[in-house]
Amino acid sequence: MLQPTAIVLQGAFLLVLFLFVAWVVRSTLRDLRRPDEQRVAGPTPADATGIHSAVTAGAAPSGPGDPRLVVERAPGHTPGMEYEIAGGAVLGRGEQAEIRLEDPYASSAHARLVLQGGRVVLEDLGSTNGTFLNEETVSGPQPLHQGDRVRIGDSEFLFVDS
Amino acid sequence: MNARNRELLGLVPASLLIVAGFGAVFLQEQTQLDNLSLTYGAIFLGLCFAAHLIIRVRLPDADPYLLPIIAVLASIGLVVIYRLNETLARDQAQWFVIGLIAFAATIIFLRDYRVLERYRYLIAAGSLVLLLLPRVPGIGQQANGAYLGISLGPVSFQPAEFAKIGIIIFLASYLRDTRALLVSRKRFGITLPRLKHIGPLLLVWGLAMLMLVFIRDLGSSLMFFGGFLAMLYVATDRLIFPVVGFGLFAIGAWFFATTVGHVGDRISAWQHPFDPKLYEQIGGSYQIAQSLFAQADGGLWGEGFGQALISVGDSPILPAAQTDLIYAVIVNELGLIGGIALLLVYVLLIERGFRIAVLARDSFSKLLATGLTTVVALQVFVIVGGVTKVIPLTGVTLPFVSYGGSSIVANFVIVALLLLISDRARREARR
Repeated sequence: MLQPTAIVLQGAFLLVLFLFVAWVVRSTLRDLRRPDEQRVAGPTPADATGIHSAVTAGAAPSGPGDPRLVVERAPGHTPGMEYEIAGGAVLGRGEQAEIRLEDPYASSAHARLVLQGGRVVLEDLGSTNGTFLNEETVSGPQPLHQGDRVRIGDSEFLFVDS
Repeated sequence: MNARNRELLGLVPASLLIVAGFGAVFLQEQTQLDNLSLTYGAIFLGLCFAAHLIIRVRLPDADPYLLPIIAVLASIGLVVIYRLNETLARDQAQWFVIGLIAFAATIIFLRDYRVLERYRYLIAAGSLVLLLLPRVPGIGQQANGAYLGISLGPVSFQPAEFAKIGIIIFLASYLRDTRALLVSRKRFGITLPRLKHIGPLLLVWGLAMLMLVFIRDLGSSLMFFGGFLAMLYVATDRLIFPVVGFGLFAIGAWFFATTVGHVGDRISAWQHPFDPKLYEQIGGSYQIAQSLFAQADGGLWGEGFGQALISVGDSPILPAAQTDLIYAVIVNELGLIGGIALLLVYVLLIERGFRIAVLARDSFSKLLATGLTTVVALQVFVIVGGVTKVIPLTGVTLPFVSYGGSSIVANFVIVALLLLISDRARREARR
């Protein structure tokens, strides 16, 4: 003893349900077909990373003369990402670190970069597994030069200052 | 059209569903229902709008489809529960209010959800306690041989629903730290992590087995362990982990199925639901057999709202119709067409969840989104698979559709976390 109105309403119920599914599927497909913005734009700019970024959001874009660390390879980072380090930075696994490493071999405050007399100086902060500058263990403060490689565990960075 | 206006537009189908569904049920059962009950539908729509406003203010960049999808699921659930029992529908509407409060609290107080990482061991320990609570004498409850609920005075809830969120947060944080170590050591050409790195993971396997023994519930055990394997696979990109993991799980499940009576009963009821002896037996195959009859009776187009035979006098025809068997009721009344539509909406929900995981930039967010989505997906699989006799039937809820307070509240928290992750990821991608 189905009432005719009830049957109509039930039909409408199913129709709305399927139209909803179609609507979401259509929008999703459009999302997927659109070329991935990140892939088109190439390496992600440093200020797009939020969690890893050493610079605060909205800071002026780095000029050619600013010292930077470029990610060569690092778990959780996109290669080519750049960190501005003119103000100094701590590298490590902890939450206080400006350059946050997702690397199991990194200590929470692993190494630090400071500006001394116009030079960027790399210093190990008593880490467990050591910091490597061009594959040599860092002991004591080491000034960095264009093209130097800084490695911590599986994370490797390139120092650039021009 | 920006994301938030799109989300608002997506709430229109949910309101149409509520109107059409409540209208049809009301017309069919006019003798039993009164006008006032239609206000539950209105309350529900008000809640959806409130949730939308919270997201609009706090998470302007979050995924626009997540809220409409859960609104549609919840409105299907509310219509069916309203049709089963008017009082339960009122309770369910109240649970939605509490769920919404939990949703808002999560979004407002966990704006930076990464602080959760700091408390991971506390969260893990708390979740374990929650899991074992149903076995504590005095507050634990046994239902059909499984220990899933606890009751504190007038309130009873299922702590496992909340424990699953805590365990996923812990695993996401733990795997973020150790994922490189898990694949770093190779012996004899295969990946073989050191014991100290794999230890905690073996602990989780042990936990899943313990749940089988103590809580006696194959479904939730499968849900936890499956979610864990999915996260492990995403974290390490090694197929060997899930393969070995499922092997271990199968061995453990087989062992307990043959030794623990309750688990074994469930399996024989699943293998032979129409065996007259099992059918008559208390705690036997009655529920699963009736579920299959109801679904077959529904056919392609269904019997129509209000037509399913739920009980004759005091004896139930569909036991636990509002929770375990709600999918069978839906298929009986809306037919295969209705069941497929419901499952498609779940597929969309899961797709959005994984998409959030893909968009997320840091490992913790990725793993968290993956884990939360997988657990919801597995929960749907466990209960729909159970009532359709794909796997042994266990009493978990159909997310957002089944009647049940803890399930609603916990699932709202899961969606709030997904929206938080999505908001951050999409904001960073846009910049």
